[in-house]
Amino acid sequence: MPPIVSFSKVCKFYGSHFAVGGFSLDIRAGDTVGLLGPNGAGKSTLLHILTGLVRPTSGHVSVFGKELQSNAIDIAFRMGALMERPTFYDHLTVRRNLKIHAQLAQRDVNLDRTLDLTNLAEFASVRAGTLSQGLRQRLGLAMAMLTEPELLVLDEPTSGLDPEATQDILTLLRRLVDETAVTILFSSHLMHEVEALCSHVAIIHKGRLVTYEETETLISYDLSQVEVLMDGADNAAKRLREQDWVTSVTSKPGRLQVKLKEQGSHQLNSFLVHAGYAVSGVVPRRRTLQDYFLKALDHE
Amino acid sequence: MSNAPRLRQLRNALDRIRVAYRVEIIKAIRLRQTYVGPALLFLLVVLSPLAHPLRQDTMGDYAFIAYVTPLALNFLGYVLLLAYVGGLLATEMDRGTLRTVLLRPIHRCEIYLAKLLLGCSYSLLLTLVVGLSSWGMVVIFGDLYGVQVGGVLRYTSDEMLWAYLGGAGLVLLPQWAGVSLGLLYSSLTRSTGTAVSLSVGTWIALDLVKYPLGIDHLVFSSYLESPWHVFISQCDGLDGRWLPMAGYTIVTSGAVALTTTAVGLFLFSRRNLGSCG
Repeated sequence: MPPIVSFSKVCKFYGSHFAVGGFSLDIRAGDTVGLLGPNGAGKSTLLHILTGLVRPTSGHVSVFGKELQSNAIDIAFRMGALMERPTFYDHLTVRRNLKIHAQLAQRDVNLDRTLDLTNLAEFASVRAGTLSQGLRQRLGLAMAMLTEPELLVLDEPTSGLDPEATQDILTLLRRLVDETAVTILFSSHLMHEVEALCSHVAIIHKGRLVTYEETETLISYDLSQVEVLMDGADNAAKRLREQDWVTSVTSKPGRLQVKLKEQGSHQLNSFLVHAGYAVSGVVPRRRTLQDYFLKALDHE
Repeated sequence: MSNAPRLRQLRNALDRIRVAYRVEIIKAIRLRQTYVGPALLFLLVVLSPLAHPLRQDTMGDYAFIAYVTPLALNFLGYVLLLAYVGGLLATEMDRGTLRTVLLRPIHRCEIYLAKLLLGCSYSLLLTLVVGLSSWGMVVIFGDLYGVQVGGVLRYTSDEMLWAYLGGAGLVLLPQWAGVSLGLLYSSLTRSTGTAVSLSVGTWIALDLVKYPLGIDHLVFSSYLESPWHVFISQCDGLDGRWLPMAGYTIVTSGAVALTTTAVGLFLFSRRNLGSCG
């Protein structure tokens, strides 16, 4: 199956400063891809290029199998986007703002359905300029989803929101991912958002792709680091440090954090049981995206 | 090779411009500042009898119309027009609403042309307000009996009306050239103030140098006033001539409108509109 989005050696220079340098990535239909990177990594520039707001200095971008520059209109019909802090005609109501975008998209859309989906129905007659930042972000999302696009581009959609509004947006997106076949390209510098939402993660640093993996692969369990819930942790720690298959042991009241030379906790488990300790649980440590992210940037 | 795909593309582009223009009108209708210009011009016309009285004396009061129309349109009206057009793209780029609109299936050039049409419509609105209110004032407080010289009817009221309509039609051309220039400046900056200053500055600079350089007949802004000369002459019982003034108005205004629009479209289509651009 051909990729739905394909970046090929994309470069973008602003004067002599490069924002993106030789970026290549293929995204398959139905994937939810998180673009992760520190501030200034080039995430927003890439999404601006994808949405046609910025021209790449060199390289090619194709969307739905068509070259972006020469098929911008056809592509825009099938794409929705929310760019960081969305802006609206503040003197117009929420409904009128949506209606204007529906007109520009030349589509008959069910505005009430979109308003319901984004929980904006009660604000339909409110002027956009009076909305809180959280509601504005929801309106931005409503606009992006207005024409039921096949590809949704979201540039830091929770930027500047309080935790409640952030959760609100993430829940909405989760619902969208679960209920539709939409492909989402989602940029963020917040790991937990990407971890919660995305099937794939692309880590970008200094305008280049560092890694592109399935999220599941990156956040699997690390069987060489385990936490043991037990009584007599201090005493057990002393004995474990003498074992050559143990790298390090940290003792805390009621638990031990053990780093093993090899993966697998069977040896540790049987050692503790044979030594007569009451072990109530052995939990392998879960790798977080943050671990992987920091490691990937470290290698750079 | 068949021209059908090209024709279809052109038809689609015209459709999108029409939709974008309709959207621009909807936005403008709901914006308070749209009404400031027409309201100011209306007030100027309504208050003008203080300087140029109107009387019902069975003599035509076309002199009032000839006095107030250029007064309202040539300076205040033109400044209001440039101020309005200066904000059309600059404000939207500054606020970011243009970026949101450009995420829709519409080319930048089509948005630009829709804004140009809105600016031209606004100039038409200003001209209509001045025309209707000045003629309305004469209908209510004065007379429209035609122009008499020595008790003899020199020009009928119909002839005066046509001379006025001809002037109003022609004066739209330099106004639209001003709209094109203003929109070009508006596309170059995110500051409405800068765009308006550039437009007004260009106008003043041209007016300052055109007479010393002897190029006034080649400068479009000279024809903001000339189209009224026929009507003004007829008010005095004299024959006014449309040519060659009308030809110069069409050519100079058309050249400026086409050139600035082409340059504006070229530059605007290449602008980076991303937040970091």
